[in-house]
Amino acid sequence: MKLFEKHQEKRHKNKEYTIIVGCGRLGASLAGRLSDKGSNVLVIDENKDSFRKLPPDFGGMVVQGDATEISVLKRAEISKATSVIAVTNHDNTNVMIAQLAKELFHIDNVIARLYDPDRECVYKELKINTICPVVLSSSKVDQLLYQA
Amino acid sequence: MKTRILLVGGFEETRFLAHSLLRKGYRVTVINEDRDQCESLAAIKGLQVFQGDGSKPYVLEDANAANTDIAIALSEFDDANLVICELCKKQFHVGKTVALISDPEKTEFFRMMGVDSVVCATTTISSIIEQQALMNDLNTVMPLGSHVQVAQLIVPADAPSVGRKLWEIELPKAVIVGCIVRGEQSMIPRGDTRIMKDDRLILIVSDDDRESAFRALAGELV
Repeated sequence: MKLFEKHQEKRHKNKEYTIIVGCGRLGASLAGRLSDKGSNVLVIDENKDSFRKLPPDFGGMVVQGDATEISVLKRAEISKATSVIAVTNHDNTNVMIAQLAKELFHIDNVIARLYDPDRECVYKELKINTICPVVLSSSKVDQLLYQA
Repeated sequence: MKTRILLVGGFEETRFLAHSLLRKGYRVTVINEDRDQCESLAAIKGLQVFQGDGSKPYVLEDANAANTDIAIALSEFDDANLVICELCKKQFHVGKTVALISDPEKTEFFRMMGVDSVVCATTTISSIIEQQALMNDLNTVMPLGSHVQVAQLIVPADAPSVGRKLWEIELPKAVIVGCIVRGEQSMIPRGDTRIMKDDRLILIVSDDDRESAFRALAGELV
């Protein structure tokens, strides 16, 4: 039986299936939160050691591999995913994974983290959601400065 | 107006390409991240060199990407090459973008994303090695993309096609004998042109029909 079905049988028959690429601090904490909420979660990372960042009670799946390879995405059964979140440490990698998810596998909800806000304009037309830490932090700082 | 070409990333192939393009009279600009490599590239006469990460819009802007006719992404990373081509196309409206990739699985995907021309180093090199190692009589002169290639074949003396007219030979569908070179002469063959031994045939052939065309013209593969 395939990885996802086996997992889904064990857990609740939740239709949500989120793939997170990159098990860094953000990826790992997102994975923990989503799995706590009862969502099916799969985390992909090239480095096996990265999975240690996942919370001890993480109830999702992991796949070790390079998520820019189509075969790895297929192994994660990306076509069943409802959302894909690309949060590796490289903007270009996130962008490529997001586009693979959107254009090849037609995933509705695709989110990519971009450190460099300059590149954002190109991805708007592809309907890929981007989160940019610099923009988020500076607006938060603004808020803290001027609300007081 | 000279055609302006922007080469982004890469070193050895970039240097070689820059030389060859400059010699042909193009205006060539190079973007490279590494300082030492930039210095070495800057020694090439007439070559404009910018140091920086070519997948960043402001670096492309510095290198005047908006006034470029052809952008070629040659970095060792597939994802960077995709971003470079997309930025060039969407933000700087470069006419033609070319990407070098190493993962053959993604060739179609790159095309889908609007990259005009995708060159896969892995398949290109491995097919050349295969040809050199296995088939010396039928050489691909030029892969044309879309599974078509120009190939040449020297007809051996014992080939089944020797002495027969072109229309008598049962060739697969997707092959055209475009030219026959016989000694110093070259001719465009017609159906009633007879094939002789030592003729050099220039074929336009689909990748799939290549071997059956070879068998029909030159006999069994050794």
